Amino acid sequence: MDEQTKSVTSSKQAPVIEPGYTFATVTDKISAIVLQRPTSNGWFVGFGIGFLLTMMMLFAIGYLFVRGTGIWGVTIPIGWGFAIVNFVWWIGIGHAGTLISAILLLLRQSWRNSINRFAEAMTLFAVSCAGIFPLIHVGRPWLAYWLFPYPNTMGVWPQFRSPLVWDVFAVSTYFTISLLFWFIGLIPDLATLRDRSDNRWAKIIYGILAMGWRGSARHWHRYETAYLLLAGLATPLVLSVHTVVSFDFAVGIVPGWHTTIFPPYFVAGAIYSGFAMVLMLAIPIRKLYGLEDFITERHLENSAKVMLATGLIVAYGYVIEAFMGWYSGNRYDAFTLWNRLHGPYAFFYYMLLACNIVIPQVLWSKKLRTSPVWLFFISGVVLVGMWLERFIIVVVSLQRDFLNSSWGMYYPTRWDWMTYIGTIGMFLAAIFLFVRILPMISIFEMRTLLPEAEVKE
Amino acid sequence: MSAAHNNFDLMAPPVAKTIRQRSLLVGAVFSVVAGMIAWKWPDQFFHAYLISYMDWLGIALGSMAILMLRHLTGGGWGMVIRRILGAAMRTLPLLALLFLPILFGIPRLYIWARPLDSIQDKLLREHLEQITKTYLTTNGFIVRAVIYFAIWGAVAFFLTKWSAEQDHPPIRDNSSRFKALSGPGLILYGFTISFAAIDWVMSIDPGWISTIYGLLHLAGQVLSAICFAVVVERILVRYKPMSELLQPDFVHDHGKLMLTFIMVWAYFSFSQWLIIWAGNLPEEITWYMKRLNGGWGYVGLFLVLFHFAVPFVLLLSRAFKRDVTRLVWLAVWLLVAHYVDLFWMIEPNFSKTFTVTLADLVIPFAMGGLWMSYFFRNLNAMPLVPAYDADAKQVLEPAHE
Repeated sequence: MDEQTKSVTSSKQAPVIEPGYTFATVTDKISAIVLQRPTSNGWFVGFGIGFLLTMMMLFAIGYLFVRGTGIWGVTIPIGWGFAIVNFVWWIGIGHAGTLISAILLLLRQSWRNSINRFAEAMTLFAVSCAGIFPLIHVGRPWLAYWLFPYPNTMGVWPQFRSPLVWDVFAVSTYFTISLLFWFIGLIPDLATLRDRSDNRWAKIIYGILAMGWRGSARHWHRYETAYLLLAGLATPLVLSVHTVVSFDFAVGIVPGWHTTIFPPYFVAGAIYSGFAMVLMLAIPIRKLYGLEDFITERHLENSAKVMLATGLIVAYGYVIEAFMGWYSGNRYDAFTLWNRLHGPYAFFYYMLLACNIVIPQVLWSKKLRTSPVWLFFISGVVLVGMWLERFIIVVVSLQRDFLNSSWGMYYPTRWDWMTYIGTIGMFLAAIFLFVRILPMISIFEMRTLLPEAEVKE
Repeated sequence: MSAAHNNFDLMAPPVAKTIRQRSLLVGAVFSVVAGMIAWKWPDQFFHAYLISYMDWLGIALGSMAILMLRHLTGGGWGMVIRRILGAAMRTLPLLALLFLPILFGIPRLYIWARPLDSIQDKLLREHLEQITKTYLTTNGFIVRAVIYFAIWGAVAFFLTKWSAEQDHPPIRDNSSRFKALSGPGLILYGFTISFAAIDWVMSIDPGWISTIYGLLHLAGQVLSAICFAVVVERILVRYKPMSELLQPDFVHDHGKLMLTFIMVWAYFSFSQWLIIWAGNLPEEITWYMKRLNGGWGYVGLFLVLFHFAVPFVLLLSRAFKRDVTRLVWLAVWLLVAHYVDLFWMIEPNFSKTFTVTLADLVIPFAMGGLWMSYFFRNLNAMPLVPAYDADAKQVLEPAHE
């Protein structure tokens, strides 16, 4: 009976790697994408579009440097427009990588092995996109280094009580640790590419990056220790970065910003959008590169479950915030709620509720959780929803504050849009480059998932 | 697996009955004293009663939450304490009964239930004139409490029913049912405990709000529940069948859960404090002013050190987490610290300076004695080992690893 029970429960879930693979075929299949597969026209088109959009962004930023932030739609009372909305959106997307690579590693969730590599790459690119915005938003970007507390003769010192300064530390630490984590995880695979590459230049470059990896027992021992330590270091960062971002808002006393639920609610929202982006990338990539055997239904379903859970935490945040706005009897809190529901941006608030809460509930259905097409669509909806959420928080809260005389509206200009869409292009271009020159799935970690890898005593 | 068919071996050891009787005795004796306090100092009685009630309720509901979490994620760590959590969860009928005295204390506990004319603060009075017409009414309070208990009761009922079905042939695999209930069940728990915490505790100070408040209670409940499970597994590990089941790996996982929820609790508490401190708004900061002045600040400091810092450092040690005989001391400690946390949240509403009344010392034992007795009754009612749990094979036959 028990055997039966076991087999019934285990057969319901798709495997993390389809049967029929050996150590050699796994290595062949993943490394061939980089080494043997010819660069397709589709790749050039995709990369080209991303590259052109990046150029557009650089043009918009160049013009910004010449003319100043006046070319943007930001003005008083809405001094934080697209730049902060997009910063928070990108940083949020950059959360899935570390969650997958560090927390799921510590939780011994081996299914992570086939998506951690490109989730981490995605994290790095997303954080890079995020980092652009505050830098160009400071007004005099050439003095942005003043944010760091370095000894100087001017007597300039950052305001340590401001979360904006904590952001500098949180984001730069996060980027550094994510980069190290990603790079260390790459080393054994870089050595594989070095050994397998026919091209002399490729051999040299992969060889330098592999840092002399020979795969000896001592190498592996040190590697495992370093990787585990980094995972431990990275875990609190998953929480801390978006917590600090939420403090940017919550320590102010603007209604709509000043609320204690923000830290966990921001973190949940970040993971929500991060997994949505992982799915949006994984679904086309597995199709185009024929990787359905490695990124299986199980991965799609598990990611969908994470999205469902974090989405519900976000929904909890909305409910509690709305309830407290009413319960507190604070007229400004109550007005913020009213303004969201009936103000000039009400349409976006209803869109937000639809995108973040209503539509993703279809993920309760196992059929939709395992359908790539549906998941791709829902992930897109979630990404839009999470962008709208930051827009509502930033713009609608500032739009109508305590004094009626200082109310205003926010209209993004074409320079705002060019910068924002440009970062998406930069992100895509980076992803295209990544899948072309590095193994997008961790080869050696995939090998550990094979039945051969199980140690028999 | 032959042992599974012989249910005798899988029942709780006789020590459970002994503790049950002794707990009942303690509960009865302290209840008599508590009754006298209620007669002599009714205000003090109700304050202490609410604190104590939230504490014991937290263990029951936290156990239910961990149980559902485990049904969703699986794992041997949950299989060995599944019936302990289940027995704690099934104390809900007793807790529903113990809720009744609070109804008699409503006007003593909640300012909104008293005549509003006596309130000096004009803003608060105006606010209460509004909110007592809609939300904070005695009838609404009772109706909502009935809803919370109905939801908790329904979740507990089905979790128990399906679990019991697995004890007797014909065995059916209920894993998918458990999963189907646990997802929505956890959401319901999250919402109901938040609103219950608002109704029962936060509304003592009706002018103050904090949107993270419900989650703060939730974290405390789950923490106290896992600590309680560690205490019970420590008692049972001296006897069969727990002595054969409880592997260091599972204890390690329980220790990790303790560490996680200590961090979650600290994270929520710190976030709330930092945001309110930085905002420094008159309607919010008063909550901390009450809790940091008049001697209460030392209690707050105590919580920082002994509800977070010291347990956190101890739990970093791998050896400590794996040894149930050592871990149990921290678990007991954290149960006490959680009580102090609730004390610090509730009592400063009523008393400007730090005071511990006789009621604060007596009622936790009165209620706890009765609760523990009922808990051990529940523990005896079902086999201690769910032999047909999805992870039973991994736990019962570790030799195959």
